[in-house]
Amino acid sequence: MEAQNESITYLESRKLVKRWRGPWPAIVNLLMIFALFAVSWWVFQDPRGIMRMYTPYDGYMICRWLLILLIWVAYIFDFWPFKRSWLNKVHPVIKGVVLTAFSVLAMMVLIKGFFMGLLGQYGIAYFSPDRLHAMGLTEFYAEEYSAEAIMMFAAIASWLAPAWVVACENAPWQKLEQPARGFTVAVVTFFLATIVYFLTMHSHMAILFYPWQQYTAITPPYWEGFANTVSGNFHIAWIMSCTVTVWVYESIWERYPFNLIKTNWLRRTSAFFGIIAVALCMCFFIYYAQDLMWGETVRGTKRDAAPDWRWLHVGETAIFWLVGVLGLNFYGGNWPTKFSRPVNAFLRTVLSLVIGGVIYVLYYKYAHFLIGTQKGFAHPQQFPMIPMIWLINIFLINMWFMDGWPGWKAVPKTEAELSEVESVVVAHDVSWTPSLAKGLALGTAAGVAIYFGVINILPWISQNVQIIN
Amino acid sequence: MTDDITTSRRDFVKGVASGVVGGTLAGMGFYSYTGSAYSRLPKVARGQMDFGVVRSVKSTVISETSWFNNAHLMEDIMKAGGLLVDQYTIGWAPFANGKGAGKSTYEEGIANIKKMLPGDLETAWATQNKLALHPDNPGGFSTLLEVEDMDGSKHKYLLDTGWSYAWMDQSFKREGIDQMLKSGEIEALIQTHEHFDHFWGFPVAMKYNNKLPLYIHKGFYKEGRQYIVDAGYKGDPIVVDKEMTLIRPGMMLMKFDVPIICRVFGETSLAFNVKDKGLVMISGCNHQGILQMTSTATQKLKYDNDRFYGLYGGLHISPFEDWDPKYDDLVISLGKWNFEKVGCNHCTGQLTAKKFIERGYPVVRGTARFRTASQDYLGNGDTITFG
Repeated sequence: MEAQNESITYLESRKLVKRWRGPWPAIVNLLMIFALFAVSWWVFQDPRGIMRMYTPYDGYMICRWLLILLIWVAYIFDFWPFKRSWLNKVHPVIKGVVLTAFSVLAMMVLIKGFFMGLLGQYGIAYFSPDRLHAMGLTEFYAEEYSAEAIMMFAAIASWLAPAWVVACENAPWQKLEQPARGFTVAVVTFFLATIVYFLTMHSHMAILFYPWQQYTAITPPYWEGFANTVSGNFHIAWIMSCTVTVWVYESIWERYPFNLIKTNWLRRTSAFFGIIAVALCMCFFIYYAQDLMWGETVRGTKRDAAPDWRWLHVGETAIFWLVGVLGLNFYGGNWPTKFSRPVNAFLRTVLSLVIGGVIYVLYYKYAHFLIGTQKGFAHPQQFPMIPMIWLINIFLINMWFMDGWPGWKAVPKTEAELSEVESVVVAHDVSWTPSLAKGLALGTAAGVAIYFGVINILPWISQNVQIIN
Repeated sequence: MTDDITTSRRDFVKGVASGVVGGTLAGMGFYSYTGSAYSRLPKVARGQMDFGVVRSVKSTVISETSWFNNAHLMEDIMKAGGLLVDQYTIGWAPFANGKGAGKSTYEEGIANIKKMLPGDLETAWATQNKLALHPDNPGGFSTLLEVEDMDGSKHKYLLDTGWSYAWMDQSFKREGIDQMLKSGEIEALIQTHEHFDHFWGFPVAMKYNNKLPLYIHKGFYKEGRQYIVDAGYKGDPIVVDKEMTLIRPGMMLMKFDVPIICRVFGETSLAFNVKDKGLVMISGCNHQGILQMTSTATQKLKYDNDRFYGLYGGLHISPFEDWDPKYDDLVISLGKWNFEKVGCNHCTGQLTAKKFIERGYPVVRGTARFRTASQDYLGNGDTITFG
């Protein structure tokens, strides 16, 4: 395997061209994806299927870590150790199979070797199902607790790993060759994920055991008063919102508006923290929207009235939007593209929210007929994030590893097209003018009005629309 | 000039598009999780339905030991594929087919024993024991309720029918339930939900009285409804499809539509208005959650002193001796509801009972007889009286 020093990544270097005119590429690909989803779900996850990994935490851990590995392979390592020439010439199906198998293998090494083996055996016992079982837990819950902890780590990494590439532009290691750059960014983001894990999830894990493990973790956790729960689901809410916002910013927003900042360090810092700010806005709104729809939470109760579930459902709701965002970006050609970047971003935001909303309704209305889940919003052992992330993984394999086969094919970008890549990183298409300022002021007022309109209409929707009969 | 106007208009539109997203996000971020936002939530008026009053309610624990070895139960569930797997396919008696974990079906299981139900339960259970996973593990949950009216008359109800035919028959005989069923003393059977440990012992009740009124939640799956027929029931089940069903004055059946592990949907629980005391709530498994039940009762029902008096049943917090931080939310919060008397067992979880006691909650302790594992539980053969 050769070292790669291409300044343009493989994903940036290729242009995906439709093989057929009209909507056929999207239709064919989506049909293939849904078929792959149905088969793979039945084989690996479905509680009625073959391997039944949806226990639920085993399956949850697997699909989340597979997502991380796909991001690492394509975004962080730029497909190292695979040669660029191999990527350019091999058939997309073979490429998809090989790269997916490589990702799965790496994922297994990470889960079994690093978390359960190294960390679980020599560091923190709850990462090892064997240790928990040996200490008296049933084998089932030993595996579930361990998988939950490992899964939580992935949730954090699924925000930080792509954020470092998208927001921080791999700085300050962007000029390193692969695999040095990949290892550096992976290690740094893994390190940051470890810090965030200890600040957010370690206390959650510590109070799984009796008595609370107060000598090794802060119990009760510091967020109890603010979030009205001791559950770490509060953190899942904003962390998942961060994950979703990274991809919204990267895909349908084309890195707008932070790419208008010309100063590198300021742009990167603003983008990183701006993503967190947008995510927090989303997080608090979705939580409040649930209270408007379903009534205020009662601490200590279960299911859809419990604060911990409402926080979890913030993340779940955000993931439905992410499916809409990636679906529009990958299979809808990031439509529309003919307006200015801010207008395109705005229209795509609205459109992807509608798609995400439709998927949300369809999921809760019909999933229990199709994927072995149960009717209802709040089942304590059921997570819509699992099928949604499973679907996203298939999206990513199709578009990143298989160049969008069969509806699309990869061709090299021209010099002019390559220069557009740079214009996404630093944009020059919006500049400060009096007209822009007036529009911004009016738009901001309209946005605030829209927000209050939405929160006023949500209780009415709750009274008049029934998703699950 | 035209170019300037166009540019100006374009810039304006860019500004509007950006501003709308920014303004909406600002509202979402700065207002949503604030005291001001929550002051806008509509106040829900309490229903205050007057459903009558009783003098007292006595509960006798026929069996709270649903299974005897938690590790064996979880081993079976794990081998079958986890907590979302359909209970009829796991491979437990009386629906085992001998093919192993996760490979049973209702049809194949019942075919082995149908002709023996409900008259020859010993042979039926022995037949299934040869096919099932951990055949000695099943026990069951069942409770006898005695409701005393204001005129002193007493009315008996059976809450759930347990799991193992052998264990439940033995438990019924120990508490005299067999004779009460035969004589028609028990006025109705309330099957709180479809779970194996509450419902699969149904033929044992049918052995002694196959015509007594039967209440089931409308969420029973087709297998469960067929089992009622196959077990020999000759009546017409009352399918509970309303949120509140009055059983008798002062005794209300509350329906909760909740998805439950092992592919079960919905549970019913009971509320009693005890004269001069307050509300008593009794549940089979309480999958909806204690505080969901109390919240619903607060919103819908009128009861003496407007206070919660008693709570009894499987409270379904850590049924497999598992734990989750959200369970601590309940342990921490329960005190605010000021229950005067709490009896718990079965799926409450021994750790939960222990934490309740540590917090000083008024848990009525038991005698730990007839295979009940802990005195923190109201155990087999124990009684609790409200009123």
